[in-house]
Amino acid sequence: MLLIFLALPLVASSDATERDRQSMVRTQIRARGISDKATLEAMRNVPRHLYVPAAQRRFAYQDRPLPIGYGQTISQPYIVAFMTEIIGPEPQHKVLEIGTGSGYQAAVLAEIIDQVYTIEIIRPLGEQARRKLEAQYDNVHVKIADGYYGWEEQAPFDAIVVTAAAEYIPPPLVEQLKEGGRMIIPVGSPFQMQHLMLVEKKTGGEITTRSLMPVRFVPFERAE
Amino acid sequence: MNMLRGKREVNTSLLVSLALHSAAIIAFQLALMQLISIVQWHHFAYMIISIAMLGFGASGTLLALARSSLLKRAHWLVPLLMSTSGLFMILAFHITRLEVFQFDVYLLFVERSQFPILLANYLVFFIPFFTGALSIGMLFIEHAKHIGTYYFSNLLGSGLGGLLVLLLLNLVFPQQLPALIGLLSVIAGLAAMGSKTFRLLHVAIATAALIAAGLFLVRPGQIPISQYKGLAQALNLPEAEIVHTQPGIHGMTEVVASPALRFAPALSLSYTGPLPVKKNIFVNGDFYGVIPNYQRGQDEHILDYTTQALPWAVSSPGRILLLNAGEGAPLAHVFSHKPQHVDAIIPNRDVVRLFRHQFAAATDSLFFYEHLDIHRREARSFLASARDKPYDLIVLPQQDAFGGTAGINALQENYGMTLEAFRLMWASLSDEGMISASTWMDYPARTSLKLLASLVETAREAGIGSPGDHIAAIRSWGTISFVLKKTPISPGEAERIRAFAGERFFDIVLMPGMKDHEREQYNMVEDKMFFDYVDRILSGDDAFFQDYGFMVRPATDNKPYFSQFLQLSNIGYLSEIFGSDQVAFLELGYLIVLVTLLQSLILALLFIIMPLLRLRKSHRGKGGTLLYFGALGIGYMFVEIILIQRFVLYFGLPVYALSAVISTMLIFSGAGSLLSGRLSALPRSPARVGLAITGLLLVYTFLLTPILQWTIASPLLVKIVLSLLLIGIPSFFKGMMFPLGIRYLSEYDKSQTPWAWGINGSVSVISTSLAMIIAVEAGFTAVMTLAVCFYALAATVFMGHRLFFPVPASPAG
Repeated sequence: MLLIFLALPLVASSDATERDRQSMVRTQIRARGISDKATLEAMRNVPRHLYVPAAQRRFAYQDRPLPIGYGQTISQPYIVAFMTEIIGPEPQHKVLEIGTGSGYQAAVLAEIIDQVYTIEIIRPLGEQARRKLEAQYDNVHVKIADGYYGWEEQAPFDAIVVTAAAEYIPPPLVEQLKEGGRMIIPVGSPFQMQHLMLVEKKTGGEITTRSLMPVRFVPFERAE
Repeated sequence: MNMLRGKREVNTSLLVSLALHSAAIIAFQLALMQLISIVQWHHFAYMIISIAMLGFGASGTLLALARSSLLKRAHWLVPLLMSTSGLFMILAFHITRLEVFQFDVYLLFVERSQFPILLANYLVFFIPFFTGALSIGMLFIEHAKHIGTYYFSNLLGSGLGGLLVLLLLNLVFPQQLPALIGLLSVIAGLAAMGSKTFRLLHVAIATAALIAAGLFLVRPGQIPISQYKGLAQALNLPEAEIVHTQPGIHGMTEVVASPALRFAPALSLSYTGPLPVKKNIFVNGDFYGVIPNYQRGQDEHILDYTTQALPWAVSSPGRILLLNAGEGAPLAHVFSHKPQHVDAIIPNRDVVRLFRHQFAAATDSLFFYEHLDIHRREARSFLASARDKPYDLIVLPQQDAFGGTAGINALQENYGMTLEAFRLMWASLSDEGMISASTWMDYPARTSLKLLASLVETAREAGIGSPGDHIAAIRSWGTISFVLKKTPISPGEAERIRAFAGERFFDIVLMPGMKDHEREQYNMVEDKMFFDYVDRILSGDDAFFQDYGFMVRPATDNKPYFSQFLQLSNIGYLSEIFGSDQVAFLELGYLIVLVTLLQSLILALLFIIMPLLRLRKSHRGKGGTLLYFGALGIGYMFVEIILIQRFVLYFGLPVYALSAVISTMLIFSGAGSLLSGRLSALPRSPARVGLAITGLLLVYTFLLTPILQWTIASPLLVKIVLSLLLIGIPSFFKGMMFPLGIRYLSEYDKSQTPWAWGINGSVSVISTSLAMIIAVEAGFTAVMTLAVCFYALAATVFMGHRLFFPVPASPAG
């Protein structure tokens, strides 16, 4: 009997996060135009609250980025969804993520894609994310290293998701992107109006970029 | 010396104590500004200190509410308060280093739980200012008859305190400053101690202060830098270490090495080579630049693969002027193109020292290169005296920062980017010369448009009818670079630009003969209207500046805020477009100043109104007191801010000029205060002095700027003498007004003197933020005009003293 009572809050809590997650997908993601089924399903499945620090857990499903320490943030849910959708993920794809951070973006990708490679430069963050990801997925490979060099042994990649903004795009990453591949990068810090940039490698090697919606400026609709 | 015995007379040891303590308070304020600027952004430092400084206002309130009770105990309380203030100066910063006092800047905007932590920070820093100001206020009221002498001591001490910090910044680490400064107040307290009452407590406080100071001097510990600052983030990288630390007048300079630190801002996507690892320089925890791996004879540089290389696609300039070069990378880039001569303007002496000593070998003695002259001054004063040396290329420092600065530099005066500065640059160009400027692309577009508007206006003012023939601009995925050429860009030059851009996947935004499709060949912008904005600016369509949501008109010396884009009148409109919670992220810096003003205003009003509970109806003349001391507080600070602005530009050495100007003002004001004792306490004295200041400031409104412009290129000695006169004369008279008012009030209604002290203290703090906002919105001329009005108001109060102070002067007490 006692066990049942002790377990109740956990069940209730799990139900609550499930509800929050469904609501997050409905009001923050679908309502803003994300329509890729696989992306929406992945966003529904990954328990975001497990990827944020304990002190921030109650805000996990809010419509904003959250600090995860070391000056880094876990992106706003919509941005994770947007970055996932924009690379056009397919199960057979091989995707590289630069900046594992909390591990949340890698988890979302792992729900859709067979091979996710992710690199984190800050050791404590990388180790924490590795523990969480390896407990949940066997198709995510975490490396703690300088993302500048990419993951040459596994190249080329169909898509590269850079989650940490950088002043320059490392030439090895451009090199490791397949022709016809896409790379998505945020520009700016969480304090500012960020926007995303899509880098496309055309057949023949020509590179083009496209500025996309500003990360913090999105058309907002509260209900479907 | 017993305070009780000598309380109505001038007490020399008390005057020395007051001067020491005043020096400590101003020095502590400046040191704190430096320290909090290292921990957080400087706007937060300003926000926290403005609240702490309201300790002056609060002390006046307490004095007004408990005047007789406090003054009865003045003989032991004043020294004890001085020492307590000193003890808390030593402790305050170190207390806020504790984990519980650390607030998350990012969460401050979204989580209420951060507010109590911010409030706790306010409180800790409030204590030393409050106790310190209370002791000063008590002395002023206790010695109201000799207020001129005591105020002189206060101002003289404050002036010297400013200079003391200047000296100490070069000698010790910032976190050691409070220990040294706090001891001054403790010594002041001990020197003022005349009574045996609470002697033991006093000795205990002094001993605690001494032990704490010793501890923090020997083991100053690390400054807990916000995790979001550049330095903290660099130190998260593998094998990152600080390889050099140097305290200095420009801030704390630190050099970080890590195999993961590279520098290639908005590098071309066609670049396939390796990126060299470079050490990064941080000043006060913010990224400042890199230490380039320069080698003589090197003929290629990584910046050749950025839009910054545009001028070398146009021609091969021989004589180059690099404005606010800041650090080594732009210099190394320029030298890789083998110029004949380079003048580099680097106002930060600490950084120059770094390159000339510690990192001379690493940069192949770049800063000793025979064709290079380093000028350690601001661009404007250099340009004003360098017109006889025409340059083939003038390179402006890169504006903005990667991802924008969120308005963090919005209220940073930048006289190097005003139209007046561009005019000087144009005049310094050779016949085929050009000005080059680059910036990060921001969204919504602000910096890039203001930069273009400045170049277009410069060309028009120089008599060029079609600026489009003289301007070229190219854009990468992250940056945009402009070139404004004195002669039209020739077809050959245009072809070279086209080839350069094509090889690097850059797009052409402006150029004679450009085709429309060239604007978005490689890098598609999100807002297609961007090109329309560019064309409207180029065509001289003034309506564009009215229509656009941000302030992108060129900056001028009257409003030298190049990085200020937010227009208060447009906040509603921007909120509609971006959402009210997003506007803060567009132009955060300016909004923090508005918040600072608002919170100071609420507290200041509270401090001013509270004493009215005690000053009942029987106390007449309250309106006169409020108007006079309120007007003085605002007027004094407005003039101070104007003079600082004008003379910092005049000397071109911001940090030195700032301290020298403030100290000169305070010392001259002190002299005025001392001599005010010779004037009668009758209302005609403040009325006449007030009128004299009003007249003088009126003349300054029209003549100060022209005088400074005419003499900016004069020999230093001439400039110093002229400055002493121009700063000293109004300061001297301004220093008379407060003591004259206090003397009159002490005769008229003694119980109002503490209130006057509180009003003056509270209003002074508000005035600083208010002056900044007025300067941004309406320009410095408006600030000066208002200062004239406030001094005229102060004079009017005493000209019409029968109206403002209605009953005949009652006996003191």
